[in-house]
Amino acid sequence: MFGQFFQTIFQADFLFIIIRITAPILFAALAAVISEKAGVANIGLEGMMMITALFGFLFAYWTQSWVVGVLGAMLVGILLGLMMGFFSFKLKTDIILSGIAVNMLGTGGTIFLLYMFTGLRGNTGALVSPNILIPTIDIPLINKIPVLGEILSGHAILTYLAFIFVFILRIFLYRTPLGLKIRAVGENPNAASSVGVSVTRMKYIAIAMSGALAGLGGAFMSMYYSQGWNQGMVAGRGFIALAAQAMGRGEPVGAMFSSLLFGLAQAMKTKVSGLRGMASYNYLIEMIPYVVTIIGLVFYAMSIKRKARRHQLKPIKEKLS
Amino acid sequence: MRDKRMVLFGFVRGAAAIALALAVGTIFIFLSSDEPFTALKYLLIGPFVSFHGGVTAFNTQNFYQVLAAMIPTIFTGLAVCVMFSANQFNLAAEGCVLVGGFVGALVGIYVNMATGWHAVICVLAATVVCGLIMLIPSILKVKLGASEMVTSLMLNFVLLYIVLHFLNYHFADRSKGATMTYPFLDSAKISSIVPGNSKLTWGFVIALVISFVIWVFMYRTRWGYAIRMIGINESFSLYSGMNVGGTIVLSSVIGGMLSGMGGSLEVLGRYNTFVWRELPGYGWTGVTIAILAKNNPGLVPLAAFFLAYLNKGCQLMSTHSDVPSEMIDIIQAAIFLFFAAEQFLSGYRQKLVVKTTREELMRAESLKATEGE
Amino acid sequence: MEANEFVVRMEKITKIYPNGIAANRDVDFTIRKGEIHALIGENGAGKSTLMKILFGLEQPTDGTIYLNDERVTLSSPLEAISKGIGMVHQHFMLVSSLTVAENIVLGMAPKKGGLFIDYKEAVRLTREYSERYNLFVEPDARVADIAVGMKQKVEILKALVRGAQVLILDEPTAVLTTQETVELFQELKNLKEQGFTIVFISHKLKEIKELTDRITIMRAGRSVGVYDTDSISEQEISRLMVGRDVVLKMDKPESVPGERVLCVEDLHYINEWDKKMLDGISFSVRQGEIVGIAGVEGNGQRELVDILFGLKMPDSGDATIDGQSLIGLPQARIRTLGVSYVPEDRMTFGVAQTANIQENMVSDRYSQKRFNKGPLFNMKSLYDESDKLIMDYAVLCKSRAQEVGMLSGGNIQKVVVAREFSSDPILIIADQPTRGIDVGATELIRNKLVELSRAGAAVLLVSADLNEVMELSDNLIVMYNGQIAGYFDDGQWDDLMMGEYMLGLKRQSDEEIRRACHA
Repeated sequence: MFGQFFQTIFQADFLFIIIRITAPILFAALAAVISEKAGVANIGLEGMMMITALFGFLFAYWTQSWVVGVLGAMLVGILLGLMMGFFSFKLKTDIILSGIAVNMLGTGGTIFLLYMFTGLRGNTGALVSPNILIPTIDIPLINKIPVLGEILSGHAILTYLAFIFVFILRIFLYRTPLGLKIRAVGENPNAASSVGVSVTRMKYIAIAMSGALAGLGGAFMSMYYSQGWNQGMVAGRGFIALAAQAMGRGEPVGAMFSSLLFGLAQAMKTKVSGLRGMASYNYLIEMIPYVVTIIGLVFYAMSIKRKARRHQLKPIKEKLS
Repeated sequence: MRDKRMVLFGFVRGAAAIALALAVGTIFIFLSSDEPFTALKYLLIGPFVSFHGGVTAFNTQNFYQVLAAMIPTIFTGLAVCVMFSANQFNLAAEGCVLVGGFVGALVGIYVNMATGWHAVICVLAATVVCGLIMLIPSILKVKLGASEMVTSLMLNFVLLYIVLHFLNYHFADRSKGATMTYPFLDSAKISSIVPGNSKLTWGFVIALVISFVIWVFMYRTRWGYAIRMIGINESFSLYSGMNVGGTIVLSSVIGGMLSGMGGSLEVLGRYNTFVWRELPGYGWTGVTIAILAKNNPGLVPLAAFFLAYLNKGCQLMSTHSDVPSEMIDIIQAAIFLFFAAEQFLSGYRQKLVVKTTREELMRAESLKATEGE
Repeated sequence: MEANEFVVRMEKITKIYPNGIAANRDVDFTIRKGEIHALIGENGAGKSTLMKILFGLEQPTDGTIYLNDERVTLSSPLEAISKGIGMVHQHFMLVSSLTVAENIVLGMAPKKGGLFIDYKEAVRLTREYSERYNLFVEPDARVADIAVGMKQKVEILKALVRGAQVLILDEPTAVLTTQETVELFQELKNLKEQGFTIVFISHKLKEIKELTDRITIMRAGRSVGVYDTDSISEQEISRLMVGRDVVLKMDKPESVPGERVLCVEDLHYINEWDKKMLDGISFSVRQGEIVGIAGVEGNGQRELVDILFGLKMPDSGDATIDGQSLIGLPQARIRTLGVSYVPEDRMTFGVAQTANIQENMVSDRYSQKRFNKGPLFNMKSLYDESDKLIMDYAVLCKSRAQEVGMLSGGNIQKVVVAREFSSDPILIIADQPTRGIDVGATELIRNKLVELSRAGAAVLLVSADLNEVMELSDNLIVMYNGQIAGYFDDGQWDDLMMGEYMLGLKRQSDEEIRRACHA
């Protein structure tokens, strides 16, 4: 049983799948990174992905163009971000509560909207056609390399974009004036506002960018991964992304590695549930990413705690006599 | 004087928030429906009024159904109240409802006991298990500072898959087409308190009693007091000598227990077998209820009633018109956003404060002047 | 009088905060071009609020502002900055993880390639201003790693780079060493010569006399007068500031010290920036006496109090109550040993703002038997207790059910003190017990402290208000640089003498200091 298991794991197509599964989580994790850098906890990512996935697909269907679909999803993501911002920064709703509200819109609101726009209930299976799905590309030269080519070539354009965005986001945060301002606002809003940086504006920008990235993740889900929109499609990826952000220490590259870890866990689930003797563990395997997240958070919290230990209360047994 | 004005202001604000949310819902109905007035009629008064044969009358069965729908949400609402009161954004009530229902169901199927006690034991088992589950996020928070929000969100999924695993591979009734458990023993079922098929069970009475108990707990006991003070100002509570960590754990455990109790009462009252295959969503409704009730357990039944009414209205609307029942989520999100908005109508509040302060200053000064003479 | 003589004119400024606190009431404030203008007043007199309004951080509820005779509204710091106003806050407004240069160009970063930060240019800019105004900083150092004095220079540079003509400095010397203060004054005089206008907020009279041209005095949210600094004596300033002639000595019965209650032995503490905050502190407090700790803030008093109340762990040393060590104990245990504590930051540690008075008054004793009947509260005894305390401490309120956050500062402090003083403590730690509150409440709190000590409690009084420690203390410790610089038990002290110890000009012999232990 386990021999077979390991054989399956160490195959090129398995690594290919990991990358494919990681991409939407990565988009959402980057969305979490950018908003968290500005000090905004975006718990609404799950709902944002649901809604943008729906609108991305609808825009693509209406125009029969996947490009318009992706851009539309980003636009809707931005609007959702701005809406959360309006309620939280302007009307002072707790940001966590505005996030929960967006998630509510994501679960039921999407079904309502789908019906309102198309008359369909539950999913868009009837509307799918190949030209509105995000195309895959073969990378010249790399696709000729054995094994590596199989792993790296032939992904959807958005998959590559997700990984490229890791570095774009890094450069944005650390090398541009806007990134500098966003980090300053997240770390010390008073300092930022004392030099005339508008804290609220930076937060709006960050959460709008967060929405745009979530939009890319949503579009990836409905226009590539699931080939159409359905209700249970996002399945907690928005929440996992929050954990990936936290585990990745809030940095783009760190978030990428923790997203890959979640990708691995989910890929294992799909692989393993096909194996004889392992099939009846499919739910438990599906659980792994969430358990890994909790464990990851625990380790992260412990490392922070250890760093801070010297200056906090020491355990009584260390007490000096 | 200031306080009275503020209380009045609070009411006006809440009403305005709800009105605004309903307005948003109405706009969507007009956008999406060919028969918006029918839809609105069922949404707003459908739950209580039956229109059969041109006669409008009070609809008792629908009314019972609305009350029945409050059973799980009162419990999750209370659970979230207690946890939010301690300033814990613990969202695992969702998973606990599911587990509570599952555990209650298992005890109801596999444990053989006398009628009367059986149901009690089912509910207690669910309560205890869910209380224990809540130790996980709360202890991680207290001991390590791990965000209870993220761990509880993850925990919901962990609980879901554990339940699904056991449901599918250990306790499924293979004779049925769909995945479900064997039927509960009759002794475990929670019986109705009214005739008909409304599922208005003793669970409703228990929910009201527990609301009162939790109100007493929060406002009339030392533990509830500590929970509230920690929620308002943790540093202050620590300096006052309260056991902050222990109290936070306590609030979460109580939250878990309430969710588990609600889940088992719902499952044993409404169904014959355990059929949930996904997270039931009551935990999130509980968050909305807690927000509407402003974390006051005494107001939870009222808020739960309001949401149950809306929900029923949406269902009726979708049956009798072309508007899908998921409309409820849009209205609920809107209520949520406006209700939780501290600054909603705050300009008006600030004017009130300034006015009252001016008056008080003037009074104080005139008092001083008369004293000086 | 020339029309443009005043760069800033603020007229009839009133500010009422959303919680109903009136921080400014009909304040007039003017600044002449090219002067150093002192703004002075006790904590809570409304200086900071007034300056926040001038810097656009707060909006006045009423009143008008003129800059160079032009009426303006300053709705944000950005607007204030663009009109030539710069502010150096008391708590530095710097982002620790960024470098000095990044902090200085934050919000106006030079670009290259249209998109990216031109970091070299940022460093060059920093150097240029640093040299032009003789304010030395290291552009490449991370702010987290530099000393306080340099942080302040970074703050001043931040304002200058942005074209500030009027510089507001909010208690700039509070965090500085003597040497750094001397340096700062030189730099400020230098800036004045170059034509800058400076508002200097302080409550150190000597500094004001030395540095400033004119002075505006505030009290209880109002301006009580504008003077040429040369034409007014320090006594006069202090009289206007506190609204009465400073009382020399309180009438208090003779102290009869008993057994030692608190013994502090050789405490050492190094903070997270590796600065030695406590460097071998030893003293004791006995029954029936008030031991005062005087010192410029930031000389270790904060850390000492935190350790005594269980918030920080010392690196070495011990502190005992009646022989029992309290190091590392949770607050609940420390309280059961008979310690009570009036915290400096009353809004953070002293009260739960949105809870009511009754709830706030019993936070340390709610679990005692007398307030509980089985699992339930005995509401009557809780109400009786709080009503009695409201009476005893003359808390001005509508009822015990009023929210504490709605009370005035003085009444909030009365709530805190009522709770802390009524738990039969054997040791009271009072940290800045009367800071920023009205005269009536101050008097009441001081009288209660004396009363309790004469009834046998040991009192440790930490206060930045020199008058207060000198008035109240039976014995007096002066802290400087994490050490005890002097111990005085003869009641023969005055502010001049204290000043010399507080500023590190004088230090007693080790033998004299050791007397503080009463061993």
